[in-house]
Amino acid sequence: MMYVRALPTTDVNRNTEWFTYPGVWTTYILILFFSWLIVLSIFNCSSGMAWTIVHLSHFSVTYHFFHWKKGTPFGDDQGIYNRLTWWEQIDNGKQLTRNRKFLTLVPVVLYLIASHTTDYQHPMLFLNTLAVFIMVVAKFPRMHKVRIFGINADQ
Amino acid sequence: MITIPYLTAVSTYFSYGLLFAFGQLRDYSRRIFDWWSTNNLQGYAPICLAHEDFYIRRLYHRIQDCFGRPISSAPDAWVDVVERYSNDNNKTLKRTTKSKRCLNLGSYNYLGFGSFDEYCTPRVIESLKKFSASTCSSRVDAGTTSVHAELEECVANYVGKPAAIVTGMGFATNSAIIPVLIGKGGLIISDSLNHTSIVNGARGSGATIRVFQHNTPGHLERVLKEQIAEGQPRTHRPWKKIIVVVEGIYSMEGEICQLPEIVSICKKYKAYVYLDEAHSIGAIGKTGRGVCELLGVDTADVDIMMGTFTKSFGSCGGYIAGSKDLIQYLKYHCPAHLYATSISTPSAQQIISAIKVILGEDGSNRGAQKLARIRENSNFFRAELQKMGLEVLGDNDSPVMPIMLYNPAKIPAFSRECLRENVAVVVVGFPATPLLLARARICISASHSREDLVKALQVISKAGDLTGIKYFPAAPKKQEEEKDGIKLD
Repeated sequence: MMYVRALPTTDVNRNTEWFTYPGVWTTYILILFFSWLIVLSIFNCSSGMAWTIVHLSHFSVTYHFFHWKKGTPFGDDQGIYNRLTWWEQIDNGKQLTRNRKFLTLVPVVLYLIASHTTDYQHPMLFLNTLAVFIMVVAKFPRMHKVRIFGINADQ
Repeated sequence: MITIPYLTAVSTYFSYGLLFAFGQLRDYSRRIFDWWSTNNLQGYAPICLAHEDFYIRRLYHRIQDCFGRPISSAPDAWVDVVERYSNDNNKTLKRTTKSKRCLNLGSYNYLGFGSFDEYCTPRVIESLKKFSASTCSSRVDAGTTSVHAELEECVANYVGKPAAIVTGMGFATNSAIIPVLIGKGGLIISDSLNHTSIVNGARGSGATIRVFQHNTPGHLERVLKEQIAEGQPRTHRPWKKIIVVVEGIYSMEGEICQLPEIVSICKKYKAYVYLDEAHSIGAIGKTGRGVCELLGVDTADVDIMMGTFTKSFGSCGGYIAGSKDLIQYLKYHCPAHLYATSISTPSAQQIISAIKVILGEDGSNRGAQKLARIRENSNFFRAELQKMGLEVLGDNDSPVMPIMLYNPAKIPAFSRECLRENVAVVVVGFPATPLLLARARICISASHSREDLVKALQVISKAGDLTGIKYFPAAPKKQEEEKDGIKLD
């Protein structure tokens, strides 16, 4: 049995501190892999289509939870993070940490796998490219706390 | 330092992901459902944002019967737990009139003062008859009796400081005193696992807050150096005051603070030390004087010593002990002293009598016996739990021992299984602990007898096998185990 040591972190935000413990990256990759297998078994499509479906649903789920939803799912912190999305909260707002680089890389790798396995055909290529473009731009350090045209800004 | 099996970490993330996904799906379907029905808000804003109580509605309510169990007797070694039932899948719980007698492993009853005591209780009843239940006033108006003055002197002598101030509520002691001690332009450096009362007090003070890695004096020194060099944010002027806040025993880890190193670092960089001894006063140290006595730190080096009376003294309220100037300043400025009702006189009498028993001034050696018994009980219990293969945190001599559960499904399973076997344990999950590190927290008392502890070990072992929390290999049984005739399996 393999053991890991969990060092206590200095992150006081309980909403994001779970991402600093060991095992998160592996779980993320395993969830993506298993969802690909499930999509293959339910839809009975080609493996390329399955990767496209996984990529697009990954895009919608992570965009909604990382870049759209603001605040924390519990009330203990008295609402001090209510204006920040999850992406802006992790690592206390510090940019270009290891976790952020990993999370930026995952959609790009998914995009490459999806486009390769569908042989770069349209319309999948167009949809995949649009998704990865939005995902990567949303994660730029310059986009920290930026609300384009006031979309998703507070009242 | 917590050691997790890698598979457990991955499966815990999966479980939480599944619970989160199901909760979101139910929220979506509820929102679609409610689109068609009219809302009765009449133009008012909703009380909380939809996702702010997501955790409470979708995760906490599912296992609500494991938390907040009402009791119907004094919190002694054995306690009556009221039985509850639910008709709507744990959304609301209704009490019955029945209760079951359970072994109490959850109360902070470290020295056994939580129930009838032959020295304390008659004196408390006398004081209740003389002074009545409440003083009905704040300390500065008409709420100071001779008992209050005696209590403050008694506490100051016991802790080893020149003077002390006592307030009626332990949580309020931290959250009302820290804003008085430091304001904007000051720096508070607090341990990452400090209690919510300290966090609230620090946020309410307006000072800048920095956090250092739990119980790591090296990281504290790095943070101090960095902050002193940078100065205040934006203006870079020197800080007006720096206070380092640590706790004696951390209630969720059972670890004892590394006080000598921290005090020497603070002396070097001229920062004040604020020590919160809520769980350690009365429970550790040769005469129960807390973590300073245990680790050999001179009390003159710790600038502000804070503690509560709820844990070892069987009462309510908290105290701050420090130099005469500090206490005089607090008496003029602290809102808990000026405006809050003073501690009720019978409770104050309970604390005085408890301190007298601990110091042996009541003419018997029950205090020394209690202190020896709690140390013996804690060390025995912890050693046996570790031999079973459970992961137990905390240092030796600490009466708080969390048993790691990790998986969210094991939290209610362990709690309900123990309750079925008449053992009442407290389980803690997110957000009081980090997401991955859910635990069952055991508090040992001096009033637990050896048979009680053996029964508790049997029940915990059975529940542990059922829920699969024995993450470490069990120690091989040695021949000497058989000598007292009880097989601990």
